[in-house]
Order: sequence, then structure tokens, then C-alpha cells
Amino acid sequence: MNERVWPVLRQLTGKDRLGKGAAVRSAATAALRARTAGADRVVKSVCPYCAVGCAQNVYVKDEKVVHIEGDPDSPISRGRLCPKGAATLQLTTDSRRARKALYRPPHAADWQEIDLDTAMDMVADRIIATRRATWEAEHEGKRTNRTMGIASLGGATLDNEENYLIKKLLTALGVIQIENQARVCHSSTVVGLGTSFGRGGATTFMQDLVHSDCVVIQGSNFAEAHPVGFQWVMEAKARGAVVIHVDPRFTRTSALADLHVPIRAGSDVAFLGGIINHVLSNELYFRDYVLHYTNAATILREDYRDAEDLDGLFSGFDPDTRTYVTDSWEYEGMPVVTATGTSEEAARGVGGRVPEGWSEMHGAAGATLTGTAQRDETLRHPRCVLQVLARHFARYTPEMVERVCGVPQDLFAEVCRHLTENSGPDRTSEFVYAVGWTQHSDGSQFIRAASILQLLLGNIGRPGGGIQALRGHASIQGSSDIPTLFNLLPGYIPMPHAHEHQTLADFLRSDAPHQGFWADMPAYLVSLLKAWWGPSARPDNDFRFDWLPRMTGSHSTYDTVLAQLDGTCKGYILLGENPAVGSANTRMQRLGMAKLDWLVVRDLNLIESATWWKDGPEIETGELVTEDIGTEVFFLPAATHTEKSGSFTNTNRLLQWHHRAVDPEGDARSDLWFMYHLGRIIREKLAGSADPVDAPILDLTWDYPVEGEQGEPVAEAVLAEINGWDAEGRPLSRYTQLKGDGSTVCGCWIYCGVYADGVNQAARRKPADEQDWIASEWAWAWPANRRVLYNRASARPDGHPWSERKKLVWWDEAAGHWAGFDEPDFERDKPPGYRPPEGASGTAALSGTDPFIMQPDGKGWLFAPAGVVDGPLPTHYEPQDSPVVNPLYGHQRNPARKVYEHPDNRYHPSGHEPGASVYPYVVTTYRLTEHFTAGGMSRGTPYLAELQPEMFCEVSPELAAERGLVHGGWATIITARNAIEARVMVTDRMPSLHLDGRVVHQIGLPFHFGPNGLARGDAANELSSISLDPNSHIQEVKALSADIRPGRRPRGPALREMVAAYRERAGIVAGTGTEV
Amino acid sequence: MPSKEQVLRLLSQGHDYGDIAERLGIPAGRAYLIATGVPADGSDSVARGKPGREGLLTSRSQHLVNPREVNPVTRRDVHAWIRRRAWMDRPMREAARG
Repeated sequence: MNERVWPVLRQLTGKDRLGKGAAVRSAATAALRARTAGADRVVKSVCPYCAVGCAQNVYVKDEKVVHIEGDPDSPISRGRLCPKGAATLQLTTDSRRARKALYRPPHAADWQEIDLDTAMDMVADRIIATRRATWEAEHEGKRTNRTMGIASLGGATLDNEENYLIKKLLTALGVIQIENQARVCHSSTVVGLGTSFGRGGATTFMQDLVHSDCVVIQGSNFAEAHPVGFQWVMEAKARGAVVIHVDPRFTRTSALADLHVPIRAGSDVAFLGGIINHVLSNELYFRDYVLHYTNAATILREDYRDAEDLDGLFSGFDPDTRTYVTDSWEYEGMPVVTATGTSEEAARGVGGRVPEGWSEMHGAAGATLTGTAQRDETLRHPRCVLQVLARHFARYTPEMVERVCGVPQDLFAEVCRHLTENSGPDRTSEFVYAVGWTQHSDGSQFIRAASILQLLLGNIGRPGGGIQALRGHASIQGSSDIPTLFNLLPGYIPMPHAHEHQTLADFLRSDAPHQGFWADMPAYLVSLLKAWWGPSARPDNDFRFDWLPRMTGSHSTYDTVLAQLDGTCKGYILLGENPAVGSANTRMQRLGMAKLDWLVVRDLNLIESATWWKDGPEIETGELVTEDIGTEVFFLPAATHTEKSGSFTNTNRLLQWHHRAVDPEGDARSDLWFMYHLGRIIREKLAGSADPVDAPILDLTWDYPVEGEQGEPVAEAVLAEINGWDAEGRPLSRYTQLKGDGSTVCGCWIYCGVYADGVNQAARRKPADEQDWIASEWAWAWPANRRVLYNRASARPDGHPWSERKKLVWWDEAAGHWAGFDEPDFERDKPPGYRPPEGASGTAALSGTDPFIMQPDGKGWLFAPAGVVDGPLPTHYEPQDSPVVNPLYGHQRNPARKVYEHPDNRYHPSGHEPGASVYPYVVTTYRLTEHFTAGGMSRGTPYLAELQPEMFCEVSPELAAERGLVHGGWATIITARNAIEARVMVTDRMPSLHLDGRVVHQIGLPFHFGPNGLARGDAANELSSISLDPNSHIQEVKALSADIRPGRRPRGPALREMVAAYRERAGIVAGTGTEV
Repeated sequence: MPSKEQVLRLLSQGHDYGDIAERLGIPAGRAYLIATGVPADGSDSVARGKPGREGLLTSRSQHLVNPREVNPVTRRDVHAWIRRRAWMDRPMREAARG
């Protein structure tokens, strides 16, 4: 380098007058070295935040993580990271991170440090004691073999292997109240997509967006909530696609869209129904696709009555139980049996009541159809599905859409035009959605509506088409697939329901669908039982099927909260989830925890769910006094994603492995370590027990290898068990290898193949540049590494592509099998012309033109004869709390929704009901790019906290004027549950809507904030109630009503007094808002 | 500082970036940047016109700048553990024998 010191002198006197060359570098700059260049190794990993699954390079030097950046080889992210991903270095290495185990004795005022081994021993003792004290062998004469005294929550932020051990260990202990974020986030997706198509997951993958001609983003702020994934929308737009964003707010997604459609929060079924009506009325549906690939031609029973006939109800509604008897929804001559328990008809007790909790079993697995469908190929029969559909949606006119949604008719017409012009043999359109659709008291029906529309337009299973469900946690798809959920076993096999004398054969005989791939449920379930109980699981003992605890109703996280309040649930384990901020009615969450005997919290930081007893909102109001709270609390710090190995399943069913870069420090441990050693300690303490109740835990296969000084279980071994093996110990490659005779092991049948040939397929990292757009050699997707589900539908009935432009898979006559760009989602050698013989069952019963192979009839379901408990067709109902009258039907709200009458969970009067005007505004909640869900992984991270430092609300200038709100000032938002304060942002992007002769103002609230961390504020979920979709048990937090007024909220007891005064003014009593 | 012409000339003579780096006394990634104008770590977007540039690697350019990469996909101890689990499950082996 030139000896002259000043760069500017070298610039002026040397050859590089523009100062662009290296010659003008200073000595200091020249001495700098990139952290990456000096690292010892780079470890392949995956971002732990949202579900896009951006690949990361983790740089390690001297056994410390020194840098994290995006991996450019990824076909999904192409090296990019959003602000959260870019902040993971700080998330994982910040010195303020919790690294010490803490213990709060009953009634103590503060934490004390505790030795980790001692804490583990104490936790094991509490589990054993509580289990023993609350053991229930029977419930109302039915065998249950369970404990209702213990519950767990989490985790969608955990690895698949961790969720597997959580489910395995706790189920063996008889714990049934096992839940995670998937319940409160995308459980409606499982029902909506599963019932319509056969599998409850996104039908496509993000990179496929480039093939879309039209992208409709609704119920999602794609650009801000899944930023890196949004690049594929921009790629589509660069190729000429039309991008439409339907959302209450004008966001960054809207700014990059071609069209923004402001819509009233909670009115999406009416909007989608309007498009369906437009398509049907103008015969714009893709006729050949609809005729051959959907149940449009199937004829329904004569006694079916629609919402058109019964003013918003369907036939079979029982107002006493608020449930439907669904016989009349069945196909003519084809009774339906859903895939668990005995048949509905046999299970009904006196008076035709469907047992509590029956709905938990619907939707996730297939249904059995017996008999032969009657079809009208002309699609004209008045009782054929297509005609019933047309009649049902006839009232969803453009005028009605304007009245209900506030969408002007010309704007609505433009959306219809773009969608229909871009759907057909040569063009495809895609819907993208997130929790703006799922989190409603009829959320499953929102997704059903989009599914119906996409089937009518012929977009499912085709490149650039489909439905993209944008899930929001790193592995929330995984925590649904390997479910830490009460109603499911791995691979969407339903948990058994309590019945007398229910054997494995009874369970399978009544339920295992006789057609389609669900007909192999015996193989899937037996292989799972072999994975869990190994040599103890034999044919003569039903493979220990009896050892599975039984459901007797709904045991969702919200039912658990009520059980905590009434004292039946005594112990709670939180694994990377923060219900004190993230669940509906956070005050009830905390009041419930205050009744516990013991609580275990595992997280990266001291979240609100760990500290409520010391400094939570109820301490401030005086409702709780720290010294009076007897809950024993253990805080055990968790490892981050760089400190453990495991797999995440992203929103597109893709399993990606992340390797441990360094060991966790202090007492921090992975949840794999926690669950494995907890199980080990419990088994040691119970060793030698002759009590049959202890047999399931003692005979559990629990011999995973461990390594390192900390005794970390080898995650690949858990993955191998999930994948399965045969009797020779050879890893299996496909789920079709599974057997029901006990000769195979498989922890999760849909993941079979992830460890094929003994290779960790999820760890494959062949660069995108070396592959085609499918990139099948990057990681591994379920099922069987297929990327576009139902892709048989991308070809005509005769097996040729619908068009050259949209070819994906096709029948290769010469080769005698299906071929194409993607792995065919169909039996490889089944020709298009195959027709099942009389009496065929299983997969042989599916014809060569049945793309929806998990459905019993192989068809996409426009009409759902089973699997959805609140109606076979989507119907607009108002949210639980709404200031708007339902103009479509006489029933204001979803009649079948689940309501929880409780003094701490009061609902609002709505519509025309007296008192509704006390809460006149619509509230919706949403994410910020810079924060993550309930804030535990972002509010304590300085970079992210700096970018979004405090809670705020967004209001229109009109609302600000009406209520005297000042931009930058404070506002208090009040519901019957609680009141919060927020800084005011007055903005045009939160428009007030004109509908049904009035102006409806909306308030937008980010939901991440809580009192802990660096970025603090009141939690939006203080305002929300527990009112649930009856299918998925998901809460309604995307649309509620509230009042807003200027100024900060009261402190202390005055806060509760203000909430009470509002209730009194609105006339709220015990039954308010619970009407059918 | 080596020039673009120098690097491209060495490339045309059949040297790879590792060789070039050694010869010119600069890091391999810097040689790549000088030749192509594109960062080897993939931190730039490859826009229109760039793909045809001389010296551009079609894939794995990040190996020029990254240290040793860790991404094992097999573990023999896990294979042995699986075999042991299967061997210990006599009922399973009997079922397989039919």
C-alpha cells in the first residue's frame, strides 16, 4: 500500500481520482478483518423465528458464535434474512440472556438460584406426585388411564425431535392436556385444508409463486410477517403477475401490490363467498377440472337443508347442545364415518347428542364413505353439490359484499376479473393467507371458502396455484405434524376417545377409511406404538393401544385454563410459549397459573409467564398479592437453535436440519435434554414399581444415545425413530413400507423417508444454483419429498398436461408411470385410465382420475359431508363481539361456536343488542416485522427493541377526530375483559369503512408487547375473549369490538373499576353474547 | 492491488481462485470480487447482465470465503443404535418372519 497516510491525498495525487479503488483505503480499514474470515468453522443452520425457514451460516471461533448470516445456497431464502433473522446473533449471544436455573418457593417474594440437577429432581418428584394424586382410571364408566392434573404448553419454536419426546413421554405418563402454539395459530388450517383436500397443510411451496399469474394475499401481511418469503411474490410480479392484497390496513404488502382492497376485519367469508357466487353465476369455473376432480357432481341426501333454508343454520342443529347431527349432510346412499372412535350414529347417546369432544376428531384424518356415490355428470341435478353450492352462495352478491365488508362494488369486480382471467388451463392463481383467516370463531370456514374457490377455478395441484398457508413459527408445522396437541397422535392420527371395551381393532374397524391412503391407518398406528413401546408392544396386547390416555371431550389449552381456575389442573409445563401475552384473555391465563401447585417455565429469557407472580398486571391492580400466591415456580433456561441440533418443519412442509454450533452455557439446555433426562429421572424413581399405572412409562423405549459433557441426546437418533426402520434395523424410505403386523417401527408416518438410506435427508444442502426450481435435493418435504400436493390435478383426466405452460406432472405412456418436475403425489404406476373394480378398498379404490388421494372418494370437497362440525359450507357470521349486525342471516354469530361463560370472560352485546354501542369500534391485531409472536424472542433483543420500542395503536384520522386522539399521544382501549394503553398513531392506512349505511372505524394493535424486556407495553390480548371455533378450538383475536378514549389507563384498583363500569353501562351479565 | 485483467488472465490460464489467491497474495474472495464484481459470499443480488460475466461461478462461491463447513448428514453410531434397537425387539423380528 502507498506509504502516504491520508486516503484523500492518495486519491488526489494518484491514478484513482474518483476514489473508488482500494488505494484510497486507510491503514485502519486495511487492517480490518471480517469476523467470518477469522472463524474456525461455519455450521449450517436455520433461522428460529418465522416459518419461512431461511437458511443460516453460523460462524464459530474459539467455541463462540461470532457471526450469523444468511446462506446464499438456500432455494427458499437465497441468502436473505429479515431484521429478526439478522438479529439472531444478538438473540443467541446477548449477555443478558438467562443462563441460571431459578426457583420460586410457594409464597416467596423473589427468585432464588437453584442447582440444575436439584431442580430436575424436584420437577420429577412433582410430576410423579401430582400424577399419582390425580390419576383417573375411568371417567363415567369409561376407561381413560390418564391424569388431568398436569398440562403442558409448547412448542412451535422447538425442534421436531423435541416435540416428539414431549408427546411421547407425557402421553406415556397419561397426560392428555398437551398443547402448543399451533392450537392458537393455525389449527383452523388443519380442519379447513384437511377437510377440503385431504391434508391439513399448505398445498404448495413459496418458490412456486413465480409461476402464478395472480396472487391474492388475504388475512396476511406477507411482506412484514414473512419478509424473506415475500421475495417470491415480487418475482411473480416481475414476471407479470397481478398482486392483490385484501386487508383492513394498508401495509407494506399493500404498497407493493397492484391492488389493495380494504376490508372489515372478520368479514372474509362474505368476500370470498361473493367471488364464489360470481364464478358460479357467470359459469366461470374450470368445468373439466371441477367435474372430474371435485365432488361437484355428487348428489346429496334429500333431507339436507341449507343455511338458505334455515336463515343461517344447516339441518341437524341442536340448540341445547349447540352442535349439529350431521347425517343429513351425507352423500345420497353413502353414510359417512369419521376416522376415530365408533360411528357417529352408534356413539350418540340418548336424544341424538354427539358426545363432547367429538369434533376434535374430525378434519384431521379422513372419513369413511360406504356405498357408491350417485353423480350427475351434467351438474344440473338440484341436489348435486354444484347446484347446492350455487344456491347457498346466491345471496353473496356484490351489493352484499359492500354491505358486509365495506368493499366498493367496482373494486370487488376488479378482484373477480383478475382472478377469473388468470385461472384456467393456461393460467393459475394462488391464495396466500395467515392468521387473519384462522383466528376466528369460524376460522375453519374462512379457509374452506378459499378452498372451494380454488377448486372451482381449477387451481389446486397446479404450478402457480394452490393455497399457501403462511404459518408463523419456525416449526409450527412440525408441532402439528408431530403434535404436542391433545387431540392428535403423530401424523394426524386421532387420539382415541374413551369408550368401554374399545380395542385396537374396534378403533380401526370403525374408522380406518376404506378408501384412499388413510385405509392404511393400521400400519401407521401400529408402527407408532412399536416405536414407543418396542418389544412390549405385541399383537396379543393390541400393541399397548390401551396405554394411550383417552379423551372425553375438549382438552384444549383454553379448557386447561378453566381447569386451572377450578383447581383440577395442578401442574403446568411451559416450553417456549408465553400464554401471559400470546393467548386470548391473558388475565385469565395468569389467574389460572395463580391457582397451580407448581409451574415449570423453560425459555430463553424471563418471560411474563414466568414472572406474573412478582410483577404481573394483577399485582399492580391488587387482585393478586405475591405472598398469597402458593404456586411453586421453576425457571429453567433454554438453549437457542445454535446450541442444539434438530429439524424445523417450515410452512411448506419442508424439514430442514440445523446443527449445534456450540454448547449452551451455564444451566441452559435444549428441550431435548430436558425431556430426555426428565424421563430418565422419572423412570429411575419408578423403577421396580408393580403398579400397572407405571408400566407405560417403564416400558417406554427411552434409550437414546447421549454425548458431550452435558449428556445431550443425539437428535439424529430421535429423527431415525421418527422415520422408522424394519426388523433388520434398516431405515425405511417410504410410508408405503409400513406394516400393521408389528414388523415396522415409525414414530410419524408422514415423516417416513426423512432418514431414508440412513442419511439425514433434512440436512441435505445442495445449492439452489445446481438444481431446478423444485430443488428436491435441498432438505426434505413430507409427504415423500413432494413439493406441490395433489399434483395429479396438474394433468387432464387422460394424463396430458392441461397446457404446456402449466405442466408439472404427466403420464408417460412409454415409461408406464407418472413423470414430471415434481415427485408425483399419486401412485407412480397407476394409469389415468384405471377404474377400481367392484368392492375395491384402500388405494385400489381410487381411480386414475382421483388426485386427492387422502380423501375417501379421491375428490376435492366443495361440500364437506364430514369433518367440519359447524356446517358443510362456509356461511358468514359476525365475530363474537361485533358492532355490526349480520345482514346475511338472522343468526348474528356462529351458532356452533364454543363459548366459555365465566366472570373473567364476559362477552359484549353485538349488532342491534342493547349495549353494543358501548364498544363501537372494530379491533384487529397483527404482527410487526421486528418482533416475534408473544415477544419472548424479540422484546429483550436490543436491535429489535430499538426498531420497535413500544406498544401503539393505529387509528384513522376520522376516528382520531371522533374520539379526540392525538398522534403521538396516549389512548386507552377497553373491552369487557380488560383495558390497555398504547401510543397513538393516526394514519390513513387504517381506513374507516362505509358499510350498511354507517361508518365503521377500526383500531389496529400489534400483539407482541408485554411488561417484560426492553420493548415494553400492555398486551393486546388483555382485551380478547375466549370464544372458539368449534372445529379447531382456536380463539377469535382478529376481530373484536372495543371502545377507545384518549389518555393513559388507570393504575391499581382503578383499572378494574373502569372495566367494571364499562360492563355495567353495556348491561353485560353472565349470559351476554352466549346466545346461539 | 491486483487488477481485474490480472485475475481474468490467470483464470483463462486454467487456475482456480484458490491458486490465484496464493499467487497474488490476496484472499480468494477478493480475487473473485475483483474479477466479477460480485461478492463471493452471495451478499449481492445477481441482476440482469451479471450472470454472463466472465469468471462467475455458477454455484458454491461462498466456499471461497467461508471457513471449514460443518454439515454432516450421516452418523454411524446412530446406524448401530438402530440395529441394536431392532435386534432387541424379538416380537418385531418374529412378526417380520411372518
